[in-house]
Amino acid sequence: MKILFGRLALATTILAFTSTAWAGDHVFDSGFDDHAEGPHSDAAAARFLTQATFGPSLAEISRLRRIGYNAWLADQAAQPASHERSYMENQQAAGLDVYQNSRQEAWWLHAITGPDQLRQRVAFALSELFVISDQNGDIDGQPIATAAYYDQLTDNAFGNYRSLLEKVTLSPVMGHYLSMFKNRKPDAEENIRPDENYAREIMQLFSVGLVQLNADGSVQMSGGQAVPTYNQDTIRGFAHVFTGWNWANCPLDDGGQWWEWEYCPPGPVDWPNPGWNASWFLPMQAWESYHASAESKQLLNYPGVNLPAGLLAGGGTAASDLGSALDNIFHHPNVGPFIASRLIKRLVTSNPSPAYVGRVAAMFANNGLGVRGDLGATVRAVLMDTEARNLPSLASNGGKLREPLLRQSHLWRAMSASADDGRYREWYSDYYLGQAALRSPTVFNFFLPSYSPPGELYALGLSAPEFQITTDTTIASVANLLDSKTFWAWRGNPWMDPEDVVINLDTELPFANNPVRLIDRYDLLFMNRTMSDSMFNTLVNYVQAMVNNDIDDRRQRVQDAIWLIQTSPEYAIER
Amino acid sequence: MKRRDFIQRALCATASSALFTSFAGKLSLAHAAATSGHQLLGNDYRALVCVYLYGGNDAFNMLVPRSTAEYNQYAAARGGLALPSASLLSLNPSSAPIGGASFGLNPAMPLLRGLFNQTQSPLAIAANVGPLLYPISKAEYEAESVPVPKQLYSHSDQSVTWLQTRADALDRRGWGGRLADMFHTSNTNQQLSMNISIDGENVFQAGDEVVPYFVGEDGAEGIGAVQPWNPERRAAFIALRDAAHGHALQRQYASVMRRSMNNEVMINDALDGESALSTTFPDTRLGRQLRMIARLINVRSPLQMQRQIFYVGLGGFDTHDNQLADQAEQLGELDAALAAFHAATVEMSLANAVTTFTASEFGRTTSVNGDGTDHGWGSHHLIMGGAVNGRRIYGIPPNLTVEGPDDAGWGQIIPTTSVDQYAATIARWYGVPAADMTTVFPNLGRFSTPDLGFMATT
Repeated sequence: MKILFGRLALATTILAFTSTAWAGDHVFDSGFDDHAEGPHSDAAAARFLTQATFGPSLAEISRLRRIGYNAWLADQAAQPASHERSYMENQQAAGLDVYQNSRQEAWWLHAITGPDQLRQRVAFALSELFVISDQNGDIDGQPIATAAYYDQLTDNAFGNYRSLLEKVTLSPVMGHYLSMFKNRKPDAEENIRPDENYAREIMQLFSVGLVQLNADGSVQMSGGQAVPTYNQDTIRGFAHVFTGWNWANCPLDDGGQWWEWEYCPPGPVDWPNPGWNASWFLPMQAWESYHASAESKQLLNYPGVNLPAGLLAGGGTAASDLGSALDNIFHHPNVGPFIASRLIKRLVTSNPSPAYVGRVAAMFANNGLGVRGDLGATVRAVLMDTEARNLPSLASNGGKLREPLLRQSHLWRAMSASADDGRYREWYSDYYLGQAALRSPTVFNFFLPSYSPPGELYALGLSAPEFQITTDTTIASVANLLDSKTFWAWRGNPWMDPEDVVINLDTELPFANNPVRLIDRYDLLFMNRTMSDSMFNTLVNYVQAMVNNDIDDRRQRVQDAIWLIQTSPEYAIER
Repeated sequence: MKRRDFIQRALCATASSALFTSFAGKLSLAHAAATSGHQLLGNDYRALVCVYLYGGNDAFNMLVPRSTAEYNQYAAARGGLALPSASLLSLNPSSAPIGGASFGLNPAMPLLRGLFNQTQSPLAIAANVGPLLYPISKAEYEAESVPVPKQLYSHSDQSVTWLQTRADALDRRGWGGRLADMFHTSNTNQQLSMNISIDGENVFQAGDEVVPYFVGEDGAEGIGAVQPWNPERRAAFIALRDAAHGHALQRQYASVMRRSMNNEVMINDALDGESALSTTFPDTRLGRQLRMIARLINVRSPLQMQRQIFYVGLGGFDTHDNQLADQAEQLGELDAALAAFHAATVEMSLANAVTTFTASEFGRTTSVNGDGTDHGWGSHHLIMGGAVNGRRIYGIPPNLTVEGPDDAGWGQIIPTTSVDQYAATIARWYGVPAADMTTVFPNLGRFSTPDLGFMATT
């Protein structure tokens, strides 16, 4: 309120509001019994919801202020997961052909309307860590299995990391993406040796990373160089571990013949026998005759490692070797700071302090009940840390560039976007945004967590991962996408078709007569009241100068305000 | 959506010429011409095109020995992935490579084979190139007595090492960026970056001073809502963009936005005035990217560019699985797109001024994991252009024998030529003076042949 009155003084030429017009959008800032843990203002609530959901709405800001962070988090933890697979199977049952389009629809539906917002938001973050992509041909052809993989992330978003790591490892979708599926023991005669793909990426990208970390995520150095976490021998050791996995429930039974391994189909043989693809939805199954059991395997070696010098003795089964290897990864001291810094970067800020990473990593190491790897506790630690909850100063460069998908979801949640039939036919987000769920160009995600663009940020030593997909082309195409979603796709536009997703501006039109109130409303909704006075005045003066003769003019005022905010540098960088 | 696009594009097309004249373009060009440091004489123009093969191209199935002894070593290592000798497209080099073996290209590459075998050939091959800190033998590798680049065999790290071309550096600056830092003042136009990528962010083009500019396959994308037909909104947008921002990420965002808008006007205006090339390009990812580069080169005069470095990329080379079919498709796309691009440079009479070369994070293991291969180290590369001393295989083709003298283990082949040498040979042609060579390639002196000889001397 205080800031607002300051701005009003600056905008004296446009004092056009009436006292009654204040009722409604500012009710939450007064008359509340604050919860001890907060949020203590609408702005704080909006800021939290920007980090924990696909975008705040006024209704959710109000609800969060009413119940407080603790009850909100407890409620979210209890929300059942919204599943993409069942959405797609319902479409299939209704006679629709189901492709990856349908999966993107389900993703948007849950992002915009899912009651399990935090779970969905964390699943999205996990999907940028445990990456698979429908850009891969095998996976493109299995849209429902791709959705089931995503559902697994959603189901385990608050579960245990060790358990999720095993589910990811044995998923036949991941098996196809990183070629652990049908990976086989060495054959010296044929000069065949185990595929190293999954062995390498599970360590580099999913768990420990390339270099030794301190407990606060800082890199351990020796002689001016970072200390590597593992070497090629370790990769070969894990490559041998990850052998002997094929479809579950192979219907062939020819007494252990090689063609069973080679030609086993993913389910009952006769297409289109119901369930002919069923094994795409089951964990891969061990085939001992193809597992490299005999060899001893060099795994990760670190202080306190369970195996002697990290060496796994020969003679294990495919399943026992896998269990030992995942335990060996799970207990590596890197995992806590590695996962902590990645979750913080997806949810809160690109450049967390080492202390913040350290606090979250400590929660990963022990949730207070002696349990390591509790993702629910880790996520809570990410969000409730003082560094997450306190608004960073401009000079501290805290916060992050909003991901393109989150900019669109923000608009759609704030403006209650929907199509007449409730579907979200948003099939090719990547075309304009450079991003769509589970559609990264490579296993390295859309951007690297450490990416820093040439220029000032690099010189300052700041990472800014999302800038890796903010090219001269996409910065314009994202602005154009928001243009079409704002100026074009609104409910009531006669040019739109009933299946188009449209924003609802009816609630906004009354504010168009009063530019100060309009911009103030969006300062809260889009920028958790971080808008500078200069930006505020620029927008108020611009809107004030727009004609205002009829409802079309009022709508135009609202649309211009939203679009100018969503394409501005102050909005693009979320604080 | 489609209707809207059409309207926006139509508006952009009519609006941009006016905008160009009014403020963004000519003023700044005139300013740039007046202040630019080094003016080049006459029609001097030189461009490099880096074709990045994402995932690690298996060049040991791209260039395959045909002579009996070497083919047998290859076939023994490759097992089920060995290409039949009779299927190889025979190469007819003007002089035999070191070791004297004969070679053929993958059957998916008939057009490049034609370019290699022709007289005045514009295509050369550099054998077994990879990132090295020092020359290294197998014994030295096994004894760990000579240091090797960090994180060998990792996609992300080896692509950085490759494109930095100084394997022990900690920054993420590429040699294309370092060349641009050195040459960008040669361009009359100081508004448009000397380094243009059609495939987004990359390490190769990142310099200390020069920030690469990104365009799409169809040109630069403009922002429909701030075209000059709405000057008030445009003014508000620019006021928000150019305000004094207190946060470094805000400044970065504003700076990318500014660059995007200024360059879009300039580039699309130039492309609108282009006299179209008659060379046709394949409608593939790489074909469309190289077509855009040919068009940008075609409008170099209105853009007032004398030195340019381009970057394109083709994904899908990480053939852990199904390699025979997948790689044939990728190499076929490479073959058709490169041949078309060369034809376009000939059409523009610029074949001698444009040099195209491949890069890829690593080669692949000669050993097989069933139906694919894993991350290796050394690999063969292609260099194409009128200034290339073509029809030869440079460097030392490796011995592909299983556990042989070049096998670091599991068929990861130790490079016999460093990427420093490969890049320096190209950079020397591009115009880096001998005295500055070690500034750009600080480790070059560690290798006995700093110039591999595949580029013309002028």
